[in-house]
Amino acid sequence: MGGYGDVQCIDENGIRLDGRTKDEVRPVHIETGVVPVADGSARMTWGLNDVIAAVYGPMEAHPRKIQRQDRAVLDVRYNMAPFSTTDRIRPGFNRRSREISKVTAEALESVVLTELYPRSKIRVEIEIICAEAGTRCAGITAASVALAHAGIPMSDMVVSVASGKVHDIVVCDLNKEEDNYGEADLPMGILPNSGELVFLQMDGDLSPDQFQEAWDYNMEAAKVIHAEMVRALKGGDE
Amino acid sequence: MAIPLVPKLLRAHLAELAAEDQRHDGRGRFVGRDTELKLNCLPRAEGSAKVRMGDTIVYAGVKFQIMTPYPDRPNQGGLMCSAEVRPVAGRNWEPGPPSPESIELGRVVDRGIRESGCINTEDLCLIPGEKAWQVILDLFAVSDDGNLFDAFALAGIAALKSAVVPAERFEVGEDRPLGVAKTPVMCSYHKVGGRFVYDADKREELGGDERIHITLGDDDHVHSLQKGLKGIFTATDFAEIMDQARSRCAELRNLIDEKLEGE
Repeated sequence: MGGYGDVQCIDENGIRLDGRTKDEVRPVHIETGVVPVADGSARMTWGLNDVIAAVYGPMEAHPRKIQRQDRAVLDVRYNMAPFSTTDRIRPGFNRRSREISKVTAEALESVVLTELYPRSKIRVEIEIICAEAGTRCAGITAASVALAHAGIPMSDMVVSVASGKVHDIVVCDLNKEEDNYGEADLPMGILPNSGELVFLQMDGDLSPDQFQEAWDYNMEAAKVIHAEMVRALKGGDE
Repeated sequence: MAIPLVPKLLRAHLAELAAEDQRHDGRGRFVGRDTELKLNCLPRAEGSAKVRMGDTIVYAGVKFQIMTPYPDRPNQGGLMCSAEVRPVAGRNWEPGPPSPESIELGRVVDRGIRESGCINTEDLCLIPGEKAWQVILDLFAVSDDGNLFDAFALAGIAALKSAVVPAERFEVGEDRPLGVAKTPVMCSYHKVGGRFVYDADKREELGGDERIHITLGDDDHVHSLQKGLKGIFTATDFAEIMDQARSRCAELRNLIDEKLEGE
């Protein structure tokens, strides 16, 4: 959360740099089967974000020390491709991608019926091909669709979205400039059928009212994104 | 890459088919899978391409950095080519530092492009001895159903040919096309059931033996060769695939030129 410099993220009419009003979600599109060799896969484009998720398994869990006697483990990797950002990213894990992989695994483990597959593992690979803002949210959402596409039993899918604050105005679904220069970021992972949460992070500065507003924006945005997830799984573009 | 068990049945099956001059997916010996090439598909890269050959899907992205020229070549920039096959691309690819397989992939593709001389490294120099462009070509596999080599090489050269030097963003002049004078293209042949076939898929790679990668530039000049895996081949074998490579490389070069014209 830095200073704005010359950047004005939202104009006097409440129109944002990408032409949206403060409560609008960026254009979202999801397709399945984009990694033909995987057991399930999905690609999500969300604004300029382009995210691929692939699922392999359930399969034998090795090394053996990661096995759990009563359930499957989720082996989740979030990674940004070297060409996904303006400045090239050096290949390999870093602290950021490790943390995101961890919280993503925990969000997804809350909905996957892991007890059906004791001693096995389910691999979830999230690759950010192009990044705008909110790649962790896109990754969790795409991974949910890929798990469903792989036929892994789940109690619900996770819809993840982030709202935040720019120039003291709460806005839905942050874009790159808002993420870079804004004052707050509130990503959430929502179960659309119950309104429950499995993922929550926040950084920045929000008053109690602003926090509630951002929270409500996320809940509304989740409905829009969930509809696209269902559309993609029910036969997609045909 | 974890080496999967090679089912004897698969090898036997491929050998039986080979005896009748057939392949398991019905292709002829030197027929490639349907090949799609898309340019400029990565908005954050300065040049990019996506290639699909059957169920093998790869991306190539070009990024630029400012580097200090090497002391022995003070008036030249640099080209770096790196291939990553992350576990997203298949169940046998594992996380961790680059495997020998992915390092070989990157290096063989790199040699074909570098040795063709298609990039004039002196053009990349900004201030001799102080500042030059480093061109970084990242090859990224999304789905590995065999023959990543050819997919990477095709995507790689296409991405370079579509690349724009981002001079304005670095405040060192005006944006300009990278300028890639030649079009080196790779064709790979795998020995399956005792004879070489073009563009092997994953099952043919698993149930096959050695492989040979040939990169040809304009006018059929040879720019890189690589024999991989255990196996013995004859001069006659090689002459045959070299002949095939010439005509296939020309086809692929036309595909790249068509796409570039369409942009």
